[in-house]
Amino acid sequence: MAEKKISFYERMQALDRRYIYLVVALAIIIPLLIPFNSKTYVTEPSENIYKKIDSFAGRKDRAVLLSFTHDASTMAELFPMEVSILRHCFERNILVFTICFLPQAKPLMDYALQTAKEGYEVQSGIDYVNFGYKPWAIFVPLLLKMGDDIAEAVETDDEGRIVNNLEIMKEIKNYNEMNLIVDFSGSAAGLRWITYARAKFGANVALGVTAVMAADNYIYLQSGQLTGMLGGLKGAAEYEKLVDVFATHKELDENGILKPAPREFSKEIIKESWIKMSDIKNRQHKTARIGMNAQTVAHIMIIVFIVLGNIGYFVSKRKTEKVS
Amino acid sequence: MSFETISNFIAAFFTLSIFSFLYKDNPFYKFAEAVFIGVSMGYAIPLIYKDVFTPFVYRPIFVESKFWILIPALMGSLYVFRFSKNLSWLSRYPIVFGMAIVGMGVPLSMHSYVLVQMRSAMLPFDNINTILIFIGTVSILLYFFFSREHKGVYGKVTNVGIWYMMVGFGASFGYTVMARISLLIGRIQFLLGDCLGLVK
Amino acid sequence: MKRQIPLLIVIILGFIFAIHTFVPHKVSADFFDWYQTWIKAISPFMVLLGIMSLTMVHSTKIKRKVPNWQYSVVTLLSLVGTGAVGFIWGTQEGTPFMWLFKNVQMPMGATMFSLLAFYIASAAYKAFRARSAEATVLLVAAMIVMLGQVPIGIKISKWIPEISSWILNVPNLAAKRGIALGVGLGMTATSLKILLGIERTYLGGGD
Repeated sequence: MAEKKISFYERMQALDRRYIYLVVALAIIIPLLIPFNSKTYVTEPSENIYKKIDSFAGRKDRAVLLSFTHDASTMAELFPMEVSILRHCFERNILVFTICFLPQAKPLMDYALQTAKEGYEVQSGIDYVNFGYKPWAIFVPLLLKMGDDIAEAVETDDEGRIVNNLEIMKEIKNYNEMNLIVDFSGSAAGLRWITYARAKFGANVALGVTAVMAADNYIYLQSGQLTGMLGGLKGAAEYEKLVDVFATHKELDENGILKPAPREFSKEIIKESWIKMSDIKNRQHKTARIGMNAQTVAHIMIIVFIVLGNIGYFVSKRKTEKVS
Repeated sequence: MSFETISNFIAAFFTLSIFSFLYKDNPFYKFAEAVFIGVSMGYAIPLIYKDVFTPFVYRPIFVESKFWILIPALMGSLYVFRFSKNLSWLSRYPIVFGMAIVGMGVPLSMHSYVLVQMRSAMLPFDNINTILIFIGTVSILLYFFFSREHKGVYGKVTNVGIWYMMVGFGASFGYTVMARISLLIGRIQFLLGDCLGLVK
Repeated sequence: MKRQIPLLIVIILGFIFAIHTFVPHKVSADFFDWYQTWIKAISPFMVLLGIMSLTMVHSTKIKRKVPNWQYSVVTLLSLVGTGAVGFIWGTQEGTPFMWLFKNVQMPMGATMFSLLAFYIASAAYKAFRARSAEATVLLVAAMIVMLGQVPIGIKISKWIPEISSWILNVPNLAAKRGIALGVGLGMTATSLKILLGIERTYLGGGD
């Protein structure tokens, strides 16, 4: 009997990897097909980015620069962040610039702008401007030149217009005005903003990074070199929630009509707030939060795998020790 | 069948072709991989021509008559000699021009990655966490100091560093799991949501 | 001379930039503008390296008829085809070029990396063993962080997100800072070696 049990553990150890793959696929497919509401808890690094961006609301002498430094491979984590930050800017009349230094990032940047613009009457050159793709070789020189004059550094936007002539640039000169840079990347590329823009010009820098990079960046959060950070799909889900709870908040007016009523960030409100996913009609506005449901199941699955694998390992080891 | 449906079908075909590698290497995967490499490189050429060559080389020379731009442009074209046996030395000129910015990197990276980090590691000990961070940072730095054998009291201190690093690697691993799963979630959301319309 | 002149350019320009960091005088600012114009004009030609390398590797495979050489033909056709589509119809949104990116390049790029989810799950089952006390600490920290990131963590215990956050902000931070200080010093030292002409590997082989 005992021997039979051991052989079961041994069999468990040698399980074909393709069965594991099947379990992984099911652990993600099922929660996506049968959605459930789960509460997203917002962390401080995400709150800090939200608060910083929101402090620019309605101002013509403040702007946010979004730098897209990634390709499609990390899109699942970074795209929802980009869309929700852009939505935040459009909703709260915050001037926003976009730029990328990789050819592969260019269509992703355009796609994020296109997705976020849906439902907003924002105009290129007035409410936002897409600086387009600039070659990687000039990343650092351009970043440094922006410290003096953004329009001179960038020269033309994605549509070939002279940036200096655009209305959006009227009160924006350099990092003193474009006082937050959010870089989205799946590598350490975003840290260049810390090395050059932060160290030389004191610009505020925040990162939207893939979860792989997130743990490494806590040192820059603690040192104050980073204003905030969105880490992986969880960070994206947090920002989606922040935008829904505060920036796009609506209230009934005296005639019983639902009207936009954006509110200031408050820890108490975010703690208590509960948003039903089915109430959000646009799937692009809740992608990360839907994904987090599947993420929950997948994390439990991985933990179960680690535990089962270790049980099999220890039982087999004990058996080997007994035999010898 | 709408154009969007056909487009999604093609995207789904390539997605599933890549996934088929999980079963075993097969012609679908090999085909998709070959197309991917070609398209990725091919994609960059017209984009760089339009967004980089035209504004930074063509327009200044032929429209604004800044003929001196020909010098850096000719220097840039020396990259083609990189693969030549006898003339590869010519490709060093465009490379060194890009490399020169390192002069600015020395003081600024020293400031950002060493000095600011050292200052942040030595905050006043006002709570237990700042003490723990200080102990951890110092013990890890000592661990990487290989000029002295890790024995006795010194060995015990460096051992503390190992424990800190294990916790750090564990945290990175936990985050890495999340990252990898997220990417798969993205693809399954595409297959179930965009292609089949099953995710609401 | 083939090595010395390029080295001299790096050293001279590098030192000018180092000085410019501390003394942003008008002369050095003008010099920096000049440098920017030059680097902009040089940069588009970098793509030639990628094209040449890819073409050489795959055309050699085709010439030598190595196993699976047919896929090299597919790669080269895709390279030429995508480039041609971009030049003929343009690179804007709504063109066949963008269609190719969105329906061919983008889904495959995203899927390639998503395969890692399967491999990491398989590794979790087959390789992550608590063989020692240190490995156990690593696994426990990983499990807490994993649970702390997802909504179920707080349902299990309100302490899980708290502990997860503490792990990230205290021991993880100390560990990463220790490593980052080493990396930072290494980076600075390498940059300095390049600046002083000691590190020359980027120049490639030959005379």
